[in-house]
Amino acid sequence: MSGDAIRARDLTKIYGQLSAVDHLNFTVRSGSVFGLLGPNGAGKTTIIKLLTGLSEITAGEATVAGFDVRRDPMQVKRRIGWVAAEVILDDDFTAWENLWLQAKLQRVSAWKPRAEQLLAYFDLTDRRKDKVGTFSTGMRKKLEIALALLHEPEIVFMDEPTIGLDPSTRHMLWELIAGVNREFGITVLLTTHYIEEADALCDQIAIIDRGKFVATGTPAELKARVQSDFIEIETTELVDETRWRAIAGVTDVRTEGRSWILRTPSAQTTLPNVFAALRTDQIQRINIEAPSLETVFLDVTGKHLDAAGPEVHDFRKFYSTVRRARQ
Amino acid sequence: MSTENRLGTVLAPPATAADARVPQWSQFTGLYARELLRTFRNPWVLLITVVQPFMWLAFFGSSFSGASPAIVETLFHTNNYMAFLLPGVLSTSMLTVGMFGSMSTIQDKRFGFMKRILLTPTSRSTVYLSKALGSATRGLVQIPVMIIAALAFGVRFQGTPLMWAGWLLGLFFLGFGMCCFFLAVTSSSTDWQTPGVISNFITMPLMFASGALFPAANFPGWMQTIAAYNPVSYSALLGRGIVVNGVPDWTYLGYLGLFATLMLVGGTLVASRYLKIE
Ligand SMILES: Nc1ncnc2c1ncn2[C@@H]1O[C@H](COP(=O)(O)OP(=O)(O)O)[C@@H](O)[C@H]1O
Ligand SMILES: [Mg+2]
Repeated sequence: MSGDAIRARDLTKIYGQLSAVDHLNFTVRSGSVFGLLGPNGAGKTTIIKLLTGLSEITAGEATVAGFDVRRDPMQVKRRIGWVAAEVILDDDFTAWENLWLQAKLQRVSAWKPRAEQLLAYFDLTDRRKDKVGTFSTGMRKKLEIALALLHEPEIVFMDEPTIGLDPSTRHMLWELIAGVNREFGITVLLTTHYIEEADALCDQIAIIDRGKFVATGTPAELKARVQSDFIEIETTELVDETRWRAIAGVTDVRTEGRSWILRTPSAQTTLPNVFAALRTDQIQRINIEAPSLETVFLDVTGKHLDAAGPEVHDFRKFYSTVRRARQ
Repeated sequence: MSTENRLGTVLAPPATAADARVPQWSQFTGLYARELLRTFRNPWVLLITVVQPFMWLAFFGSSFSGASPAIVETLFHTNNYMAFLLPGVLSTSMLTVGMFGSMSTIQDKRFGFMKRILLTPTSRSTVYLSKALGSATRGLVQIPVMIIAALAFGVRFQGTPLMWAGWLLGLFFLGFGMCCFFLAVTSSSTDWQTPGVISNFITMPLMFASGALFPAANFPGWMQTIAAYNPVSYSALLGRGIVVNGVPDWTYLGYLGLFATLMLVGGTLVASRYLKIE
């Protein structure tokens, strides 16, 4: 057995005219946590569907746990666990009954000790006899992960595991997911649009946008890619663009009424120049974006990851002009 | 062992499809048990399952309670018309169990449970079979309720226990065949309304163009033709022969068995191809 849990070659999914997943090549090392980071509609869920055999591959091939997804879907399914973005449990059943059914579906006969162990790990032991309908979202998510681990899979797929959870529950889940990988030795492929989540959990990250990988690497490698800081400023009155461009250290400027985004190699050295160029009462708000996965994403796609609405378009326009200007 | 591919990369060979068959018994029993637990834990389902046959019997039974014995005799060829109606009413109620089965399948698709199932080594035909058998079983529960109701109405029955067992088997065949039919027809559907629409569309003709409620001898020619191929007729006639006269015609049972088998085979083929996930 090789050291790769997942290999995808030219993996492609086309829905009508749309290439939801567009000729992706990647491998996931056994025992690692691999993250697909991208905005809504990037194709993250589709990749999971292809790798788990839920959706038919349009072109290319994929090997999961050593088995070809198309040729041996049943063998793949025995070796993987899956945690959906939405919670899918039988609300009328107790936690224990949900585990029982999962054991039947996965053909695990001696499942009880494992189930007890998982309930203990996810701190659900005292709620095992309660109907799942009475559980909080965080508890449901934990039970879902427990179900996915019941048959001791080699790989577990987690689609947006902390979407819609409050920050403290999210952090608790991060701990648990990291433990799933570390203590249970399971390879994890997760998708997320939360930068901190990818940063906190993943050994390898692929940033995906519109079906294509726009950057891949370890969190540290990705952060090293973008050297620029971004200074976001809101002013109380209109300021002429040439005044911004004249500031030493500012390499690019984007304007939107009284909001400005300045690109600079170092915010630290440029900021005094900015303050020197303006009266303090002209500044309403100021914000620094240091190099992070967010700025990586901004840089390669021109979008904020979780930005919604018209802002996205503005940023895209801005950064495409930035890129053109750089060439 | 490893293979060289076009790009020169060394890949571990994918395992052969030979060992790809995974036994399905555990998955089947799990899903079947889930089906029953979900049904019989729902008080409303239970209530309706129990009340519906009573209502049928009460309403139909009362419709002729004021009629003169002569009219009843002409209409049903027996004065024990409650015993005459009972097999027909039970047959008719077996028509609706398929609708519930396909509604619960659509619910599973909608809530993503179908994805959860199909991400385990469970085949589509296993899902299909457990649903069909689950809803047919649920339909069978009405039978003892109905018989108790009829006894409470003072109805007298004929037939030996063996005959009754054959009759129940016939009813099961009818219900199971209908479940298979419904599940196959709605296998690619995710719309809650589809099973109801189909049920409305087929229940009326199957109910009236059968010998379930009235003797088919009084039908016009075209309705007699439908009745001749209608499994509801066979189930009703089999039951009627037994409970009214104590004289079963087992060819009816054979016909029902054939109907169930055809629906099962056809439905499994359709569902294993077209059963949608969401
Ligand atoms: N069944 C489908 N039919 C048509 N288009 C789809 C289907 N599923 C997903 N898509 C499209 O594919 C793209 C990627 O979707 P998805 O993988 O769900 O994105 P993500 O999970 O990253 O938010 C989206 O544009 C989405 O609209
Ligand atoms: Mg998604």
